[in-house]
Amino acid sequence: MAALREVSRSARSLPLSQIRHSYQLCQRRCAATQAAEAVLQDLETDSTLGAPELSPEEKKIFRPWKRAADRKYTLPSSRYQYHPPKYNRGPLHPIQSPPSSDPIARDFVPGPFNLPRLRQTYQSTVASDLMTLAYNHKPPGESHEHEQHEETTDRLRGWDGSSPYHKNRQKRAPRGSPVLKLVERDITFRNIPEIKEITIATFVPEAIKEQDYLLVARTMLLAITGTTPEITKTKSNIAQWGLKEGERAGVKTTIYGNAAYEFLDRCIHIVFPRIKDWKGIKGTTGDGSGNLAWGFQPSEMAIFPEIEVNYAMYPSKMLPGCRVFVKTTATSDRQARLLLQALGIPFYGELRN
Amino acid sequence: MSFLSVNITLRGLTSRLLPPSSPTSTRLIPAMSAAFFSTTPAMAAAAAPAKGGAPKATPKKKKGKGKGEARDPKIVNMLQHFAALSPRRIPAPLRMGRNRHLRHWTIHRAWLMFRRKQREQREGTLMRQYQSMHAACEELRQTEGPGTRDQGYLYRVAMEKKGVYGHNGVPIEYARPQTETPARMAWNHEWKP
Repeated sequence: MAALREVSRSARSLPLSQIRHSYQLCQRRCAATQAAEAVLQDLETDSTLGAPELSPEEKKIFRPWKRAADRKYTLPSSRYQYHPPKYNRGPLHPIQSPPSSDPIARDFVPGPFNLPRLRQTYQSTVASDLMTLAYNHKPPGESHEHEQHEETTDRLRGWDGSSPYHKNRQKRAPRGSPVLKLVERDITFRNIPEIKEITIATFVPEAIKEQDYLLVARTMLLAITGTTPEITKTKSNIAQWGLKEGERAGVKTTIYGNAAYEFLDRCIHIVFPRIKDWKGIKGTTGDGSGNLAWGFQPSEMAIFPEIEVNYAMYPSKMLPGCRVFVKTTATSDRQARLLLQALGIPFYGELRN
Repeated sequence: MSFLSVNITLRGLTSRLLPPSSPTSTRLIPAMSAAFFSTTPAMAAAAAPAKGGAPKATPKKKKGKGKGEARDPKIVNMLQHFAALSPRRIPAPLRMGRNRHLRHWTIHRAWLMFRRKQREQREGTLMRQYQSMHAACEELRQTEGPGTRDQGYLYRVAMEKKGVYGHNGVPIEYARPQTETPARMAWNHEWKP
């Protein structure tokens, strides 16, 4: 079959005996077909047309009309089209939405249509380089798992047993903090720090007086991230600042995956280099568990290309700044910093953790 | 055929997204489309007065709020963006016949399989690199160093992590994202902002 394909299209319809005679003829006009041949090499050579014909027994077994006739129930007519439900009514309801990968689902988003270059660089180069850079050898034969286990368990403070009431008493959290901090794990091939998600948040206290500030902030985040941001409320009462609990005074949104990489790429290669007297990200940033953050001043927001192209759309005095939280899969700040340095973010000053 | 159908649905979408134009709002609509949507023939079709349901969907006239001051047109523009994005205006889901849906399903499964293969290949590469690093370090640990050095000297030197987590742990020149058309000059050291 494959040999037949190399022959020109008109010759293919001829019987084989004639083709052998006209082979010389074909050779002459091969210049045009050779270019197409390179393209065709990706295609499968097998064709369904080349498959052997069904035997009479197989033909006898294959009776789709019989199956349809024997069916107890009737399939919906071909005009029927399934409509996903408009609302999610909980996990126990008999009517459930199809998965978002289903093209008829209401939350279906087509794509992805590109591979962000930062992600491509990470996958092809940065991941293996970080693994090599932070490699920590553990000689075989020693039980490191036991060590790690002891390190991660028994971190709560017990009681010394000096009183009979200490029996069965719950252990206490470590001194100084009510929660246990993450234990840093070594970077191995299963555990290479990676960008998980990026949250962008804005606090707009002026919005309590004038709702339009909130609208500008929402529009700004919508333009930057491409997602509809949600409105946050104040958490505490502070009379001096004119804050009351539960007032709408902020906007936030979270982007994942490709969108996060694209946003980081824009920050690193467009925004940071154009900020005046920019030294880098503060080295003390981080929450101790691999999430780093920085902020943008209101004047710096105009550098983002999405805002710059359409700057006249915004009331420039109402444009707020924002805070950016980069969440990584790293378990300590220094590992997260290593990742961001490899992606192109410089740090300055004292480095913590 | 599919191209035609896409066109039709797009037209439906835009006519839903944008309110049918009244004389006052026609000025705002081009600015809006330029800001958020690409300008296509479908857009032009949507900007033209819609056929049906016009009296029902006309944008509400702003009430004067007593003071009679006009709102900033920029703010009005932004409000219209969010009105277009509101859940009430989200278009109906796609409709697909049985066979068309099955075709999509097949393609989707193939795409998932392709992604899984790629991921497994990446993970396998990383694992093999890690294991060969492990083997090399084990070899170093058991060799006696150059000259009179004792056993494992090279291993200890290799395991030193001096400055890895410091300021220049990864030099800034390293961070050059790969592109299909890389620059001729790899790094411009003279660049000043």
